[in-house]
Amino acid sequence: MLEFIQIAIGGLVVGSIYAAIALGFSLIFRVTGAINLSQGGFALIAAMIGYTFTVTFGWPLIAAIPAAVVTTVIAGVVLARFTFVPALSRLSNANVLMLTAGILTMIEGFSLVVWGSQPYATPPFSGEQPLGFGGITIPTQAFWVFGATALIIVALWLLIAKTKLGKGLRACAENPAAASLMGIDVPRMTLLSFGLATLIAAMSGVIVAPSTSLQFDTGRLFTISGFVAAAIGGIASFPGAVIGGLFLGLVTQLSTAYISSLFSSAISLLILLVVLIWRPQGLIQGGVARRQDTRDEVKAAGHAAKLPDHLGWPLAALAVVVAALIPFVVTDNGIMSGLVIAAILFMTLMGLDVLMGYAGQVSLGQAGFMAIGGYTSGYLAINYDTSPVLSILAGIAVSIACALVLSVVTLRLRGLYLALATLAFGLLIDSCAVGFIDITGGPSGLVGIPSFSALGFTFASPRAMYYLVLALDVIILLGLVGAVRSGFGRALKAIRSDQMAAAALGINTVRYKLAAFLISVTLASLAGSLYAFFFNFLAPEMVGTSRSLELVAMLIIGGESTLVGGLFGALLLTLLPVIFAPLAVYKTFASGALLVASFLHLPQGIYGGVIQMISRLGGVAPREVVKTEAVKS
Amino acid sequence: MSATSPQIEASESAILSVRNLAKSFGGLKAINDVSFDARGGEVTALIGPNGAGKTTVFNLVSNIMSRDAGTVVFAGRDLAGLSPVKIASLGLIRTFQSARVFPGMTAIENVMSGGHRLGRHSLPSQMLWLSGARDEERRLRRRAEEMLELVGLASFAETHATELPMGAQKLLEVVRALMAQPKLLCLDEPAAGLNDTETQELANLLRAIRKLGIPVVIVEHNMSLVMNVADRVVVIDSGAIIATGTPAEVQNNSRVIEAYLGREDHGAA
Repeated sequence: MLEFIQIAIGGLVVGSIYAAIALGFSLIFRVTGAINLSQGGFALIAAMIGYTFTVTFGWPLIAAIPAAVVTTVIAGVVLARFTFVPALSRLSNANVLMLTAGILTMIEGFSLVVWGSQPYATPPFSGEQPLGFGGITIPTQAFWVFGATALIIVALWLLIAKTKLGKGLRACAENPAAASLMGIDVPRMTLLSFGLATLIAAMSGVIVAPSTSLQFDTGRLFTISGFVAAAIGGIASFPGAVIGGLFLGLVTQLSTAYISSLFSSAISLLILLVVLIWRPQGLIQGGVARRQDTRDEVKAAGHAAKLPDHLGWPLAALAVVVAALIPFVVTDNGIMSGLVIAAILFMTLMGLDVLMGYAGQVSLGQAGFMAIGGYTSGYLAINYDTSPVLSILAGIAVSIACALVLSVVTLRLRGLYLALATLAFGLLIDSCAVGFIDITGGPSGLVGIPSFSALGFTFASPRAMYYLVLALDVIILLGLVGAVRSGFGRALKAIRSDQMAAAALGINTVRYKLAAFLISVTLASLAGSLYAFFFNFLAPEMVGTSRSLELVAMLIIGGESTLVGGLFGALLLTLLPVIFAPLAVYKTFASGALLVASFLHLPQGIYGGVIQMISRLGGVAPREVVKTEAVKS
Repeated sequence: MSATSPQIEASESAILSVRNLAKSFGGLKAINDVSFDARGGEVTALIGPNGAGKTTVFNLVSNIMSRDAGTVVFAGRDLAGLSPVKIASLGLIRTFQSARVFPGMTAIENVMSGGHRLGRHSLPSQMLWLSGARDEERRLRRRAEEMLELVGLASFAETHATELPMGAQKLLEVVRALMAQPKLLCLDEPAAGLNDTETQELANLLRAIRKLGIPVVIVEHNMSLVMNVADRVVVIDSGAIIATGTPAEVQNNSRVIEAYLGREDHGAA
């Protein structure tokens, strides 16, 4: 019993932090309708700055902690002023979510550059000596955590419920258009809510720092836990955020203690998926039901450029010839490998584009299917000597089976909740990849995967692999181009922009969304297997959630709903760190910054820019296709 | 229609039979015991003051909203429990009050998407560029071009649908529905937001549709349009039917005049 209480108190400490971060999610969601994934990044930055001020500079706590919080909030507000606030009026909520994932990546990259990848331990505020209560020991930092969380909850409640400012924030939450007609400066309120959420995150960050170890990517854990907590509790509700946080803290600590530390996050993610099936709005609901026949608000999300056919085909043929000649020019093995990786990722990106760009279905867990494919085929090839082709097919079969189960959740969801469910799925696969040591080799990875071979030929060299993947890419691209230019593509675009009008024309929305999903899953699984065969090795972080986010970044940077755009993003993010090796440390930062910049300033992606250039040279006006998406307001 | 589909007694020659339809929102009876028929080859107009429940009738017929009571029989088949997609695939095609062209597509792509339910070639044959799929695509494009010509939008085929003026978008939505070769076309206020010229074009289009033998149910505010094109008029007020008949009969019906047309003249009755 004592042990249980001890663990439960630990759970409440962790849960308080989750609750505080979840409150930040809830606050921004209520004011703007968007999710801000960068939340946890600010908690980390504040903690890191706090460490620098106290340990490196030797400042007293009373000066260092407030200084760290203030610095973080200023940085957050400035960042939001130029990214988050303008994005809200231009992008759909699901795209804002991905933009904030980009901000999170930027923050991680920044921490990596400034503080490196080693872990940091901050000393507790009131000494190492824990307090004892009849056999239960509580570290003093726990009291700081409880106190700070209580303070945050009370202060936020007072602000929202009792002040004029709070009334303004609430008005923005209810109806931003009407609020602005009433003279409320909505962008300022947005910025304010972002600042407040950053303040909450920064405070939690510095307070929790002594009870955890800090690393450049710890922010991601804060974000995910806070997000999961908010989603379980009900993202539109403050009490929901607090309850969700405490609940999540208890569940993870208890399952770590009594079941297995490897599966504690898997358990909380399963809870989340169950909540999403059972009550997508979370345990505690906020908001009102919408009229069913009114259309979801439609925001134009820029134009996807398209080449006229008489230029497109010759250029595509030329590109294939150039690609086929590259190995005769490039001799460097590193660059050759980079090209193979980019070509493999391009496979996933084509599928992701069908899913996101054409069908409008957000996926933040695409690498999860790369993992399922890669681990299944790797495991079969190592343990049962299964031929690579068969193992790849088996991997695809397992991936499709998982996708069908997941689709029970995802087909019912749209926008934010879909993003959340796919993210949870990706994280679940992450923790399975780490947890099922017997199959996946755990954190150290699956070693000894043979090279790909078929028809008596082994594709051992990067060069051989390059031609194999190139051929596959061309075949897949041709097939998908055929599909998106015909009825299939029209049906997907119709569903993306107006599900109800599509259904009224007899377009089976469920079947088409499922088809797009399964295409993307098949390609991700195939790519994951090839990836494993190419490296002869597969580790969780190679096909983890960071990879999923990177894939989204590549697609957006390259150009969505173009099919070929992804190639540009993949080449850029894969080859640049190889070619400029000393700059590799900046890769994470650059990928985040490029994603944010593309969303805001290059809505057609690099591909769109290239098309415009070519068309200008060819003296033809580029055909622009308006790309829009339905937005759940 | 398959032989096994349930046959429900309906009046002779009625393509759509609505019987005793009812729907409440909270305590408010939005639709109360509404029954009417739409006959083959005719244009049936549903009229009534704002908020009378005309669009709700459409939403109940196409199962976008669930009804509290009543039956809807379309071409001899009870529509209870069928999804909107299924209903559309039976040939009951509806449009929406606000122009709902697909924003991501050009005008011709929009019209082509209307032909979706008739497409025979599957995803694999599209991916393999099979000649059958490509021929079908070409035929679809030709038909769509004819449709655009019918409403005088042929020169805007490659324009983004959302960049067309409101009137053109409305016409586009109607021909998109026409592409689906409906057995019954339900138009929800097609003239809303149109100017006089555009309304005239719409009236011409409706007459052309009738000439094709496609029955139409139309919810409309614009009296001159209704009187111009409708064969039969059903008048709804406060969720209930108050009159049915030819345009001339309805025009002279005292209850209709009181509830609808005469309201301004005689003050609140």
